[in-house]
Amino acid sequence: MHSDSASINMSHNLHGTFVSEKINKIRWRPGGIQSLNLFVTGSIDNEKNTIKLWDFCENDEENDIYPFTISSYMYDGDVADIQFINQDYFACASSSGSVHLMNIAVQSSGDMLLNNYMEWDKIHYFNNGEASCCTALAIYENDLVSVGEDGRINVLTAQSKNVIRSIDDADSCSLGCVLFLKHNEILTSNLRGQMKIWDLRSQTNTPTKTFMLSGDQVTPTCLIFHPTQRHLVIAGDELGAITTWDLRQNTFPVNVLNAHEGSINEIHFHPDHPDQLFSCSSAGEIWHWSTKNKHQSFMGLEDSDVNVWLAPDNVKNKLEVFTLMPTLGKSINTLDLNKNKVICGCANEAIYLINGINL
Amino acid sequence: MSQDDAKIFLIPNELCRRAGLGATWKPLNQFAVFPHERRTVRQKDIPSNFASTAQSSVFLVQHSIILYHPILRKLVNESSGTFLTVQSTVSSKSSEFKGEILKLSRQYRSIIRACLENLQDEIGKNNITNSERDELRDYITIFYSIECIWHLCEILFIDVIPGNIVLPYLLDWVRFHFPKHERNAALLISGDVTSLELHEDYWPTVFGNFLQGRIKIVRTLLRQNSAFGSSVFQLVDEVLKTMPTYNVINSISINEFNLQWKHWTTDIQLKIDAKQFITNHNLNLLMRLIVGEEEAWAEIQSHCETWYEFLAGWLFYTEPSVKSFELGQFAKLSIRKMRIKDHMKHLDRVLLAAMEFDLFEVIKEIQHMTENGWFVCHLADILHHSGSLSVLEKEVENFTSENLRESFLLDYGTILMGHSSLWEVGLNYLDYCQNIGLQAVELLLPRIPFSTETKAHKLIREARNRELHSVAQSICKIQGTRSLKRGRVGNALTWALKSQDGPFTSYLADLVLKKYIENGELNSTDLLDNLGSCMLASDRLIFLGKYNEFHKLYQAGEYKECGHLLISLLASKIVPKYFWSVLLSEAIPLLESEELVFSANDTYTIQHCLEEKEAIPQLADKISILRLAAARNLSRALMFEAQLAQ
Repeated sequence: MHSDSASINMSHNLHGTFVSEKINKIRWRPGGIQSLNLFVTGSIDNEKNTIKLWDFCENDEENDIYPFTISSYMYDGDVADIQFINQDYFACASSSGSVHLMNIAVQSSGDMLLNNYMEWDKIHYFNNGEASCCTALAIYENDLVSVGEDGRINVLTAQSKNVIRSIDDADSCSLGCVLFLKHNEILTSNLRGQMKIWDLRSQTNTPTKTFMLSGDQVTPTCLIFHPTQRHLVIAGDELGAITTWDLRQNTFPVNVLNAHEGSINEIHFHPDHPDQLFSCSSAGEIWHWSTKNKHQSFMGLEDSDVNVWLAPDNVKNKLEVFTLMPTLGKSINTLDLNKNKVICGCANEAIYLINGINL
Repeated sequence: MSQDDAKIFLIPNELCRRAGLGATWKPLNQFAVFPHERRTVRQKDIPSNFASTAQSSVFLVQHSIILYHPILRKLVNESSGTFLTVQSTVSSKSSEFKGEILKLSRQYRSIIRACLENLQDEIGKNNITNSERDELRDYITIFYSIECIWHLCEILFIDVIPGNIVLPYLLDWVRFHFPKHERNAALLISGDVTSLELHEDYWPTVFGNFLQGRIKIVRTLLRQNSAFGSSVFQLVDEVLKTMPTYNVINSISINEFNLQWKHWTTDIQLKIDAKQFITNHNLNLLMRLIVGEEEAWAEIQSHCETWYEFLAGWLFYTEPSVKSFELGQFAKLSIRKMRIKDHMKHLDRVLLAAMEFDLFEVIKEIQHMTENGWFVCHLADILHHSGSLSVLEKEVENFTSENLRESFLLDYGTILMGHSSLWEVGLNYLDYCQNIGLQAVELLLPRIPFSTETKAHKLIREARNRELHSVAQSICKIQGTRSLKRGRVGNALTWALKSQDGPFTSYLADLVLKKYIENGELNSTDLLDNLGSCMLASDRLIFLGKYNEFHKLYQAGEYKECGHLLISLLASKIVPKYFWSVLLSEAIPLLESEELVFSANDTYTIQHCLEEKEAIPQLADKISILRLAAARNLSRALMFEAQLAQ
């Protein structure tokens, strides 16, 4: 299912802006109507990286939509991950091994300002004293888990500056992704595609389950769960495949889809439309996956309870893929969605807003 | 570069002054300067007198690259998109090719203009220092010139001009770059109407628009004059109204137009001779300009900022059907008339060269602009694809358009590769260098610094996409070695496996095994448990994997299975020399176990190994126990097997 078979859906508007830095993570600010157009970005590969709060200023008359920076925060190291806890707080992972809790503060003047509310300094490090990149974060209410290249898992909470728990040699390889399966259970993936489930209540520093992405040492690049069915876990990997598990059943993948050219950089389910999936890749593709015949199932002619992603075979036939943007030949590093708007950060130091997605 | 062009930098360091300087390249656009005493081969190889344990400094000298400025980074990124479109348009060989290329050339210019606008906005901000403001002004000057040159080159070398009648295009170009007159006219007309002619800008604006061929504006301005009712104004208005125009749409032939024009000017000349305009000097001057009177044109020169503004006006009235190849001679004439031959600026020289169709000169000159090759790279590329550069191949020996373009692409791409973020854009340019682009990538890619595994992955992917497997391998090796230094053997092993680096894998497996001999603990068991087919990367790893399996079976109490594995390992010929004593010692508890583990044949294998390896010093204190255990096991096994046989 490569780009040539994916049709370009031109019905939505595309707005690009060059921002003079490479955006590695982009996230809509969650929450109420007043924050509909606000988003944050984190940069990489700069001498001085930044976290920025933006507003997509919409001007209906001129059809001229462009983002402007509300607040900018100098950040130490590459921004490896950003996760919102609620509309005012989000956590950032740094390649310097630190994790920061950032706050979007409203000043008395009404202006918004980014500031660093809490810092867990250098909680990822190697035994020789070198800093280790903190590669990913997962959030469950106020609880945070960070993983890093040092193979360490840190359990944090937004209420305390102390690290609640640290599993030092959780993995002999670098950890790249982490996901909360339950409030006390996390899933990690490492450089070799080894997936481990950890019970955070257990006192032993060993995983409760271990399984492999595939036999070929493929590195997973992103991990997500289904918005309404948390046991349904999907991983994107460096070779462009999408692997699905139903962790209720067992740890063998339900299906593996060869999707993108190049590595998959991010995957997101639409929070309000769980049958819709969005993915982007290092080859510059950004795709919208949608279930076929959804109207049919809506009318009750088909069993609408069956999750397409759990279908063991012919998943491809049940899905439609739309290309959201003509490829620019450069990696799309990150994407996020809110209602019918998709934003993404591209390796050509630009961010794009795609408006009016057909859901 | 001549000696005079050399830049001199002072290194403020005492030790450097006394000992002398050494320098070495630091990829990609820096070099390190340090105190260094020069030695010749004849001198003895002894520590320098200047050497000491005191701290000394290393200075990094860096080529400052304006394209790294945040505003110009937008230009770099945006134009790279257009560059890629140009390349794909070329490879698609569309029938609309010429038109597409022209469109893309305009796209480049609009990117430059957007950049100029951004620079202008930035200058207006309060929070910048004076030196920053000066810097921005320099950028504006540079990119203004670039746009001006590009526009002219687009007209002369890219656009297809019907009938080669270049003047309308030339006027557009001049109007575009001297928008002042039109702006002033708009201000005047929209302002206080009654005493317009008293305004100091009034006549300069009339002449300015007149020279740009904006006859409608000239007539409007004249109509606003309070003396418009007079006969001389009426007459001039009438004359201007009847000016013949040439364009492709009204489908008159060029000959017809020339004839009309001749009639029109002859008529004006008659009126001038009859002194019909004499009452108003300015109007008289306008009419004399139309008929091309030398003194009139000399008088108007002072209204022109540049020779090319003059040129466009002059040609409009005296040579309206000028062909593009005739431009050069008229350009030189204008320069002579304006008397600026001896103080031509860089921009003047480039524009003149372009009008003379001397593309070599154009490219030579724009190479020396200080925007790090952005301009010459993109212009040469589009000129190459439009076919203008290849025309020169016939004229000049050993010249190929492709090679010239490639050399500029290579320079520009290399500059971008030196930037921590723009390297990805740089790769795009190197990819389109057919001859040595790949080799350049092969050299540059491994020199891009990386500190995270994400970036390592990115670099490896770029290398693999170009089938530069040795580069990918070397990046894996670097990351592996780093992991090792950090005490992460498991991670190092994964990187070794990712690049299928057999020797490195073996080296790491050895490390794990030796560590085990030291402290009795196997490292990275989570990895070893799930090796799968990767194990086949090296014999040593197979052994390590199998040995780990042996451990697991032993711990699980599966002694029978354990014994089989041990025997097959002993017989396998992949046991490392230093590990024999450990492996044979592992046999003792199994030989002595309550349940019979080894068959007679198995025991022979163990005994055979013992005989072969008895010389190993580490075995010295165990060998007698082993022999005894083996003998006892053999007796048990023989009896057991004999019973079975019965």
